[in-house]
Amino acid sequence: MHADRLARRIVKPFVFTLCLLPLAWLAAGLLGWPAASLGANPIEKIQDTLGIWGLRLLLVTLAITPLREMTGWAPVVAFRRLLGLFAFSYIAMHFLFYLLVDQGIDWRLLLEDIAKRPFITAGFAAFLLLVPLAATSTKRAMRRMGRRWQRLHRLVYPAAILGCTHFYWQVKADVREPLVYILVLAVLLGWRVHRHRRSRAADRPSAMPPSIRRPPAPVCQSSPSSSSHQPSEDASTGSPSSTMATNSGPSWRNAQL
Amino acid sequence: MVIPWVGFPLGDLVKRFKPNSRAKYVEFTTLMDPKQMPGQRYPVLDWPYVEGLRIDEAMHPLAILAVGLYGQALPNQNGAPLRLVVPWKYGFKSIKSIVRLRFTERLPATSWALAAPREYGFYANVNPEVDHPRWSQKRERRIGSGSLLSRQPTLPFNGYADEVARLYAGMDLARNF
Repeated sequence: MHADRLARRIVKPFVFTLCLLPLAWLAAGLLGWPAASLGANPIEKIQDTLGIWGLRLLLVTLAITPLREMTGWAPVVAFRRLLGLFAFSYIAMHFLFYLLVDQGIDWRLLLEDIAKRPFITAGFAAFLLLVPLAATSTKRAMRRMGRRWQRLHRLVYPAAILGCTHFYWQVKADVREPLVYILVLAVLLGWRVHRHRRSRAADRPSAMPPSIRRPPAPVCQSSPSSSSHQPSEDASTGSPSSTMATNSGPSWRNAQL
Repeated sequence: MVIPWVGFPLGDLVKRFKPNSRAKYVEFTTLMDPKQMPGQRYPVLDWPYVEGLRIDEAMHPLAILAVGLYGQALPNQNGAPLRLVVPWKYGFKSIKSIVRLRFTERLPATSWALAAPREYGFYANVNPEVDHPRWSQKRERRIGSGSLLSRQPTLPFNGYADEVARLYAGMDLARNF
C-alpha cells in the first residue's frame, strides 16, 4: 500500500538519519568544529549527551503505539524497532563510555559505584533490562518466541522508569529537566494503563449499560482471545484490521521495543 | 582545573574591619539580581547565595578574593567583580559576585548546607576519604592538564594539607564534612 511504502522507503531512512545526528554532533565536537564545541569538560559532555539521547529515544519509542492508535496511522510502527534499537545503542554507548573512559575500566570502582550509588544502580539496572530486548529484536526471535516475546518486551516499562529515576537522582538541585521526562513517561504509561482498563471493561459488556459502552474496538476484532489475556500491543492496533492483515508481516506488527 | 587567579588575601580585607573576638565566622552574600542573573528567577536554591568560612580559615593567606584570572579582569560568569577562592575546599565554597560580608558569632546558614545538609556540609574540605552520598570523591580528572582519559587520586585538602590541615586538628572530618 502507498502509505506503507512511503513510510518504509522515505520516512524510515529519514528517521534513521535523524537518530544519528546527536552522534554526528559529538563527532563534530571531537574533531574541533567550534559550533559543536564540547566545552571545558568534554568527557562529561559526551557522557551526558549519550545518556540524554538514550532516554529521549526510549520515550519516543514508547510514544509510537499511542501515536498509532490516536492517529490511526499504522505505518508509524515501522519505526518502533528502529527507534528502540537506537535508544538502546545510545544507552549502551553511555554505559560503555562511563566504563571505559570515565572509570578507566577500574572494575573495583565500577562495582563500588553500582553497589553504593543509587543513581548508578538505577541506570545500570535499566541498561541490563534493555539488553535482552535488543537481543530479541530480530524477526526470527519474534517468530520463535511468539507470545513470550511480548511479555519479555514489557521490560521496557521498568527500564524507562529506572532511566528517569537515574536522571532525577543524578541532578544536584535543579530538578526541572528530569521532571519533564518523568511527566512524559507518566503520560505514556498512564495512557497504557487507561487503555488496558478500558479494554477490560469492554470485554465484560454485562458490567456496563450499553449506552456507555464504547463502540466495538479493533481490540476485539483482531484478537478475540484478549478477554483472558492482557491486550497485547499488536492486538490493539487502531487501524482497520484488514489493512494490517494484508500489509504487515509479523515483523513490524510486533516490533515493540 | 588549575586556574591562575588574580586577587589578594581575604585576610587583608578582614583585618581592615577589625573584627572583635566575638567574630567567629565570616558570612558572604552574592548579589541578588534576577535580571542580570537569570538563574535566580527559579528557586533552585534559597537565593541569594550565601557562603561562610570560619574566621581562622578566612585569615589563612591561601584564602583569596579574586578580581581576575589568566591576567584578565574577572568575567561576569566567573563571579565579577569580587569572588572568593578557597583552594583547599570544593568549588561551591568559592562564592561569586560578593556584595556583603558579615562577621557572625554563629555558624552561617550557607545555601548548599540548607538545601541538602546530608550532601553538603559547612566545611567542604576536599577529602578523598569522605564520599558524597551520590558519588565517590576518591579520584579526579584534572581538566586542561595531564591525559584527558586518566583520573588521578584526589589529595586531602586538594594538595594543601601541609598549609591548612592544622586548622582542623582534632576535628572529626568525616562528621564535619
